[in-house]
Amino acid sequence: MRTLYLTFKYGAILLWSSFVALPFLWALTTSFKTANGVTGGATYIPWLQYKPSLEGWKVLVRSGGQGIDIVQPYISSIIVTLSASIISMALGTLAAYGLARFTYKVGFVKNSDITFFFISQRIMPPIVLSIPFFLMLQFLGLLDSIPGLILVYVALLLPIATWVMVDFFSNVPKEMDEMAMIDGCTPVGAFLRVVLPNSIPGIVVGGLFCIIFGWNDFFFAFTLTFTKTQLLPVAVVALNSSVTPWWSLSASALVSVAPLVIIAFVVERFLSSGNLAGAIR
Amino acid sequence: MSSHDNVRAREVDEMARIELSNIAHTYEPTVENPFYALKKLNMVWEDGGTYALLGPSGCGKTTMLNIISGLVRPSHGQVLFDDVNFTEYSTPARNIAQVFQFPVIYTLMTVEENLDFPLKCRRVPEKERQKRVREIAELLNLSDKLKRPARKLAADEKQLISLGRGLVRSDVSALLLDEPLTVIDPQLKFDIRKKLKTINERYGLTMVYVTHDQNEAMSFADTIVVMNNGEVVQAGTPQELYEKPETTYVGYFIGSPSMNFIKCDFDGGRLHTAGGSIPLPSSVSLPEDRKNLKLGIRPRFVSFAAPGADSALKGKTEMVQEFGNYRIATVKIEEDIIRLKLPPGAEVPADDAWISFPEDKICLYANDVLINGSL
Amino acid sequence: MKNFDIRIGGVPHLDDVSLEFKRGKLYTILGRTLSGKTTLLRTIAGLDTPQKGELTLHKKEFLSLPVWKRGVAMVYQQFINYPHLNVLANVTFPLKRAHVPKSEAKKRAREVLAKVGLSQLEKRRPRSLSGGQQQRVALARALAKQSDILLLDEPLVNLDYKLREQLREEFLNIFQGQDDAIVIYTTTEPGEAIQLGHELIVMDEGAVIQQGNPLEVFNSPSTIRCAEIINDPPMNILQGSIGGGDLNLRGKVTFPAPNHLKGLSDGPYLFGLQAADLYIGSDITGKVELSEISGSQTILHMRGGIGSFIVYEAGVHHHSIGSTIEIEIDKNRIYAFSVDGELICPPTITSGQGR
Repeated sequence: MRTLYLTFKYGAILLWSSFVALPFLWALTTSFKTANGVTGGATYIPWLQYKPSLEGWKVLVRSGGQGIDIVQPYISSIIVTLSASIISMALGTLAAYGLARFTYKVGFVKNSDITFFFISQRIMPPIVLSIPFFLMLQFLGLLDSIPGLILVYVALLLPIATWVMVDFFSNVPKEMDEMAMIDGCTPVGAFLRVVLPNSIPGIVVGGLFCIIFGWNDFFFAFTLTFTKTQLLPVAVVALNSSVTPWWSLSASALVSVAPLVIIAFVVERFLSSGNLAGAIR
Repeated sequence: MSSHDNVRAREVDEMARIELSNIAHTYEPTVENPFYALKKLNMVWEDGGTYALLGPSGCGKTTMLNIISGLVRPSHGQVLFDDVNFTEYSTPARNIAQVFQFPVIYTLMTVEENLDFPLKCRRVPEKERQKRVREIAELLNLSDKLKRPARKLAADEKQLISLGRGLVRSDVSALLLDEPLTVIDPQLKFDIRKKLKTINERYGLTMVYVTHDQNEAMSFADTIVVMNNGEVVQAGTPQELYEKPETTYVGYFIGSPSMNFIKCDFDGGRLHTAGGSIPLPSSVSLPEDRKNLKLGIRPRFVSFAAPGADSALKGKTEMVQEFGNYRIATVKIEEDIIRLKLPPGAEVPADDAWISFPEDKICLYANDVLINGSL
Repeated sequence: MKNFDIRIGGVPHLDDVSLEFKRGKLYTILGRTLSGKTTLLRTIAGLDTPQKGELTLHKKEFLSLPVWKRGVAMVYQQFINYPHLNVLANVTFPLKRAHVPKSEAKKRAREVLAKVGLSQLEKRRPRSLSGGQQQRVALARALAKQSDILLLDEPLVNLDYKLREQLREEFLNIFQGQDDAIVIYTTTEPGEAIQLGHELIVMDEGAVIQQGNPLEVFNSPSTIRCAEIINDPPMNILQGSIGGGDLNLRGKVTFPAPNHLKGLSDGPYLFGLQAADLYIGSDITGKVELSEISGSQTILHMRGGIGSFIVYEAGVHHHSIGSTIEIEIDKNRIYAFSVDGELICPPTITSGQGR
């Protein structure tokens, strides 16, 4: 009975792992193929079934005068995503602290209404925002520029940051703030020295959400940039031509996903080491 | 495992005699040298008895309770209901009612619906359900609150609802309570304890009560099981535990203030302490091993004697604490601390003090175990 | 004498309160839950603001100071420590805020940790400590500040029964050395309040109803409400009257008025009796409604001709519900209250003296 259950359990896990991991493996092998290798039947194992080549990868760095340069968009994406995430988390954390600790009342609008208002911004389909953002950036002369993109992304990521942190702060007891103040901290000091260090799990989670959403966004990167600035998702799409270059697409897909996977591994290790247990017994 | 739950015929019916046979439990079975929350023990809970599991935080009492109820499957041993092995059975099959530290109520229902719920789940006919709910509500003084939404009641009333939900099933095999009075105001604790006692008398229900408060344990139970570090130290009536603690730990844990212990040696028919010697009590026969002897005497029985009196021990008064109804004088004999419980106006010598106590109230311990006890 | 004066009003849960605290003394505030004790402490700390009144420390105005400038130390009833710092850092935290030099701060912290018995646990995080140890860390942090005012809000209420006993005795030693500070300790347990304090303040429903030397307050509660709060189990209050040199309880029991009450005029009274002054004897009979064990004595809740009453019996005994017992009253220990609840005449001897 027990062995049947175990077989079933591990079988299911194996199945699901394959489902998740195989596409990556396939992309990996494909990225080392040449045009011929891709079109002529399915082959999987390098060196045995086909001859690996770096063509797919060379295209990305525009060696030999062909393909695109992926390095520049890569760097732009990193700059935009990191800056926007950091700014959103900073502003969002402050807003969340206010919402978690103080009571606001304007007419019938209470704290929970304000929090909901923040989150509701993400309910809107992005396309609704495309024209307003375009016009705003044009007015500011920030179209097709990195600062412009950062501005837009902050607007998009701020609700997420606030939402995650409000929840976290309500789990840090108010008494700890009070104790810090009694011990001589100003309210701001109490926030920085006591509440924040105990909200690191929240900051990690919130930051992670921001980075993922920012990095993967194609829509706004596409509509708000033309020639001067280009972000990674747009650059990858630009690879497409009459003949679908599977090899370079696979390479670029792997390259795009790589940073997130690495961050995920690092954070997961941090999360599971128990550093994130609750504040007070 | 899952197929047993559906077999109604194997349910516990009515009150049961619960036995824990060779039970031991660790929460980390895969570790090399696991820490055992419950070390190997055997316990019997007789049908209709009231028991208290008493011990400090972390002693294993909650683990034991959860093993009885089925919320925890013991790593070793068996749980028997009326001599039938129920270890593999889930909690519903054991027909246990459990009340936790914090009230557990269905927030979206009224008080009446809360009490009705367990009966409804068991498909009891409506007429009988109403009768039962009314009966329990009256017992717990909730009759006038039946239609109110449960979440609007005060903490202690919510706890009563938790309790009521457990009692409303007439076929409950045992009622387990895990520190249920924690959230209750001190003034109301007495009220609820009275209700619990009435319930026990009226329904003859087996009740097991977990607490770290000896007053609660002693007031509530006929049999107290004192636990420490995963082991049962002594089980007995409140009187037995108070008058004849089997180990120095029980003497320390029961009674406020704790029992006094004075180190002594046996020589020439007398017990010698750092402050003097007294004759060996006639009822005591010493074992072969006479090392590590301790003399135990409750503060209530110690009084001040005239200086140099026969069989009095000499020490120095350390301090006097007032409590209103009584005062506690602390006398030190070298390293041993002896407390005396005295009436409020009693005289306490300022510096040197002689203390004495009646011979028949002495408990003598060798290696922390009572001599002439049952261990 | 440097004093701390309070005269406040308008805080929720607190009526007008006027108190004066003197340096070097330990004050215990006794009251039921919601009596205003916590609100009072929070007002002193600055976490709640009164609408009117003044707080002065050493004759200087205190009310306008924000929380972080008041230099008050406080221990909460929930164990509050900084989880992201180890024990030593927890204790030096307020010292660093006060710009105490690092070496001096560490030295002070280590001294205080030794005082509360936690020297070996310096490097541990609060999370990994037991409840009693966590509360000791909180206490150490409060003591290290060497503040003028040390506030403790029911610090032992969340700890095990036996641990409370042990820590109470330790407190006596720890607070011995605090000659410069005003220590204010709140509790709901009368025994604790009497044991610990130099001066006892009884609060009820937001107001101070009595204050003074703990034993004096205990022996002469000014009102019946006060007698209720300061006696655990509650004092027995029995209706009765005095007439013709005799004392009558509820019309059921009559005996010659005891000496200390002889001077009272005839009329109706409310008589008070502590549970400890009723013994197994032969004045009145009653039925046992419930028997409880507390510490080393048995408390009998009984009902008889004179109403319901509570009796203390030394030792641990078992009495079944419904059994009838004869009780004797120590007549020299009867308190006389007016029908409005004011104390008219307390007994002149202490409990147990007349026997």
